Amino acid sequence: MTATTVSPLRRDRVRPAAPKPRPDLRVVREPRPRHTLAYALVLIVLVGAAVFGAVSLNALAAAASVEARTLDAQVRAAERDYSMLVAEVASLEDPGRIRTAALDLGMVPAGPARVVVLERSLPADGAVAEVFDGGLDADPLKPLLSAER
Amino acid sequence: MTEQPRRRRFSRVARILSRTGDQVAVRRIRWLLGIYGLLIVVVFAQLISIQVVDADDYADRSVRQRERTITLPAVRGRIYDRDGDVLATSVDGATVYADPRAYRPTETPDGTPVPAAAAAADVAAALAPILGRDVADLTERLEQDAHFVYLGRQLDWSVGEEVEALDLPGVAVLAEPKRTYPGSALAAQVVGFTGIDGDGLQGLEAQYDGVLRGKPGTLLLERAPGGLDISTGIRELRPSQVGTDLVLTLDRDVQHAAEVAAASAVAEFDANAATVVVLEVATGDVLAMASSPGYDPNARIQDDQDAWRNRAITDVFEPGSTQKALTIAAAIEEGIVTAETDVEVPGHIRVASSTFRELSPTGEPTLTVGDIMERSSNVGTIRIAQELGDQRLDHYLRAFGYGSPTGSGFPGEASGMLMPPEDWWPTSLPTIAIGHGVAVTLLQLAGSYATLANDGRSVAPRVVLGTVGDDGRLKPVAARSGEQIVSPSTAHQVQGLLERAVTGDRGTGSLAAVPGYMVAGKTGTARKPATDGSGYSDQYVATFAGFAPVHDPQIVVAVMVDEPNPFYGGIVAAPVFSEVMEAALIARRVAPDGSATTLPAAMDHARAQALEVAEAAQASLDENPPPSGPGGASGDPETDEQGD
Repeated sequence: MTATTVSPLRRDRVRPAAPKPRPDLRVVREPRPRHTLAYALVLIVLVGAAVFGAVSLNALAAAASVEARTLDAQVRAAERDYSMLVAEVASLEDPGRIRTAALDLGMVPAGPARVVVLERSLPADGAVAEVFDGGLDADPLKPLLSAER
Repeated sequence: MTEQPRRRRFSRVARILSRTGDQVAVRRIRWLLGIYGLLIVVVFAQLISIQVVDADDYADRSVRQRERTITLPAVRGRIYDRDGDVLATSVDGATVYADPRAYRPTETPDGTPVPAAAAAADVAAALAPILGRDVADLTERLEQDAHFVYLGRQLDWSVGEEVEALDLPGVAVLAEPKRTYPGSALAAQVVGFTGIDGDGLQGLEAQYDGVLRGKPGTLLLERAPGGLDISTGIRELRPSQVGTDLVLTLDRDVQHAAEVAAASAVAEFDANAATVVVLEVATGDVLAMASSPGYDPNARIQDDQDAWRNRAITDVFEPGSTQKALTIAAAIEEGIVTAETDVEVPGHIRVASSTFRELSPTGEPTLTVGDIMERSSNVGTIRIAQELGDQRLDHYLRAFGYGSPTGSGFPGEASGMLMPPEDWWPTSLPTIAIGHGVAVTLLQLAGSYATLANDGRSVAPRVVLGTVGDDGRLKPVAARSGEQIVSPSTAHQVQGLLERAVTGDRGTGSLAAVPGYMVAGKTGTARKPATDGSGYSDQYVATFAGFAPVHDPQIVVAVMVDEPNPFYGGIVAAPVFSEVMEAALIARRVAPDGSATTLPAAMDHARAQALEVAEAAQASLDENPPPSGPGGASGDPETDEQGD
């Protein structure tokens, strides 16, 4: 392979610049007029929009606040009604009240209970019966086992 | 000396006058700049003071102006019976208050007079019929020199709504938690009550106040001057924690039956009070604990205080003959006697300086242990106890629960009274053996009978079944394990003896029988100690304790009637036992234990009854034939035939 030889670049001697001729007088044009009015309008529109937006957002926030308070009040009222209904149901189920109401309706206390023992098979004997065990799951009104109480 | 100052003054004036307009303007501008600079320095210093030095203080002030911290009251936990029926709950009550400043003329800070918003008398007149209060009393309250007065607290919410509808100036309504007891007097002495501020004051409400009360929460928010919430501002909610619900072992139906029976006994026998305890044998659960007279915690008055206490655990009494079952059980357990052992029973027995006699002399020289129990023989029981001795009698009585609280978890439970044997008098042994000189609560007595019914294994009575967890499920409290006090064999023998006391021909407890069930129990009649400590008074306590069904005991009932007339336990307390035991057996769905009528026998009985009724009707018709109508025949072929 043969390397290419490059001769160094020769710099020309700096010659002193010839004095420039002084420019002739020429007409200077008036600078292009700026559209101040347009800028002002754009600015006004932007500021107006910002103000309008801020006011609108504030109004929306206030409306949301009012709505939140209304909903809070509704929730409180619903909770109040619920607790009152629970107390009312318990009051209506009170054995003493039921006894008094029954007596008012002309009922009389039951006589001595009699118990009969079955000694022979009945047709239904042998059938698998679903025994009500008194479990609380059976009564949705009982709040004890309800997680949503 | 005077020339130089004058000249200097003159030169200064000349210099001022010689200034040109530009120089004057420059000087004025310099002055103005100086003043402005000074103002800027002042403003900047103030800015530094506000923003840096006092920044925290101003920030706090700002927060205080905007922020509102609202306390969210905790809802008190409910109290349920064992089936989840509500015994105590909280509802919103209406608290009516007023600002009396609204009813007198005032001035604004700048001196402008402000007239009264309304006349206090007019407002009082409008509120009085709604609040149910006196007009003069309300007027006086509204004219107080105060900023806030209560006009009514924790009223029904409907009352608050009526007040709000009036829109009276200066009057407002506040929601305040109000404790309510839906069953009114039901289990009132057990459940107790709270004060107006929601603190438990009595009963389980006081004992479990820390569990029931919950923790109040807070709501931190920012509000504009108008009162509206700033929705973009701070809003920190620390929700209140609802109090834990409590589940009792009580059965509402059994409790009601016990209260009705106790109240009936008080009324029928003109008694001072009556108390009933119902226990479930297997668990020791207190199914009912009733005291009469009772009270309504929703409308309690101070005069009721005597009715507030739960007599079953606070009042002690001498158990009388109900104690004999324990004395004989101890003797059987120690092998001193069996149910069939004959015991010589003279008409009376003398110990130290005292003579003990039979209440109803038997006239027989010997009685079996079964006879002693059936006839409630004092002398026979004392003879057996003498064989047992002080130490062993004391040991067994304490093992049965005498002399210490049952640990039921109820506040104010009494220990009863059983002196240590070292302090006994010579007459203590015979006295204590038949239930005198010793004092128990009715719950202790019921617990001792539950031990006998539970094949000799002790039963720890409990009132609280558990709490309700966050998931709404029951979290039962740990049950206490019992100890074997007497052997099952001994317990079975005593159960048989107690059955004789109810079903035997000479049994003192025949009125305790329950149709369909075999019942065992023992009557007790004891004189009350004199209040001045000088022996015994002429007042009595009638008791009965027993269980059913005998062959598989499920329920124990103990009854105490204070100062009845007549005073015999077999007459006064046994019927109460029967009524309550029957209700409890039915409520707990306990199967009859063999004494019930069989179906064929019941049908035969019903057939015979129907035949008797028919024959009686026929005989009545034969003697008094119905008058025939003017038309003769009634149109009924059978009647027509008879008429023929």
